[in-house]
Amino acid sequence: MNAATDTTVYERTLAIDATPETVWEFFVDPQKATRWMGLKAELDPQTGGTYYCEVIPGHVARGEFVELDRPNRLVFTWGWEGSEDVPPGSSTIEVDLSGDGEGTSLRFVHNLSTAEAAASHKTGWDHYLPRLEIAAAGGDAGADPWVTQAPSM
Amino acid sequence: MEAALKAIAEPRRRAILTLVRDDELSAGEIASHFEVTRPAVSQHLNVLKEAGLVSERRNGTRRLYRARPEGLAELKDFLTDFWDVRLDALKRQAEKEERKKHERRD
Repeated sequence: MNAATDTTVYERTLAIDATPETVWEFFVDPQKATRWMGLKAELDPQTGGTYYCEVIPGHVARGEFVELDRPNRLVFTWGWEGSEDVPPGSSTIEVDLSGDGEGTSLRFVHNLSTAEAAASHKTGWDHYLPRLEIAAAGGDAGADPWVTQAPSM
Repeated sequence: MEAALKAIAEPRRRAILTLVRDDELSAGEIASHFEVTRPAVSQHLNVLKEAGLVSERRNGTRRLYRARPEGLAELKDFLTDFWDVRLDALKRQAEKEERKKHERRD
C-alpha cells in the first residue's frame, strides 16, 4: 500500500465570510446542518449528546459530541452505522473556529487513526471502503449531491 | 471513477479486493474463499480489472490478481472530495445565513 492510501487524516482550513457564531449553528442546529450535509439530522449538542446524520437514504453517520466550546471549538466522534471498519464512535472530527476580521477561519480535521488503532493490522484503505460503499449507493440512487457535485466525477 | 464505484458497490467484490490487497492470488484461490462458482469469481475479477482496482499478471498458465494501489488512491481522492464538496457547501450556506442576518439588522 502506498503512503497516499495509508493517510488517515483529512484536514482543511476554510475562510468563511460569516461570524464563528453563525458557522457554529451549522454544526449543531439540525435544520441548518442539513443545508450542507445529509437529509436528516438529530443533534444533541452537549457533551455525550448524540450526533446523528442520515447522509443519504439508508446510510447513517452517528457519533457523540465530545467537546463543545461555543463558538470556538467542536469535537465529535463519527462512524457509519452497520460498518465494521468505521463503526459509530471510531473516528473523530475536530472543528476549530476563529474570528478573522468579520469572517471565520475554520479548521476541519477528520482523524481516522482511532479506527486504525482498533484494527492495527489493516492498512488505511479499509477505513475508506465503508464510505465508498455509501458513495456507490448514492451513485446508484442518482440523486445525491455528494456524488453529482463531486469534482472528479 | 464511476466504474470503480460501481465495482465496489457489490459486497463480494469488496471481499475479493480485501483478499488481494496484500496477496497475489489466482482466481481459483480466490474462489476457494467463497461459496460461489469459479465463473462468477472470474466475472467479478473482470469488473475489478476494468475499473482499475486489480491488476492481472500471467505466471506460466496461471493468472494472478492483486489490488492496484493507484486505483485505490483514486478512490481515496473521491473521499477527499466528499469533505471538500460538503465544506464548500457549508461555506456557501453560512455566508448566505450571515447576509440574511445583516439584512434583518439593516
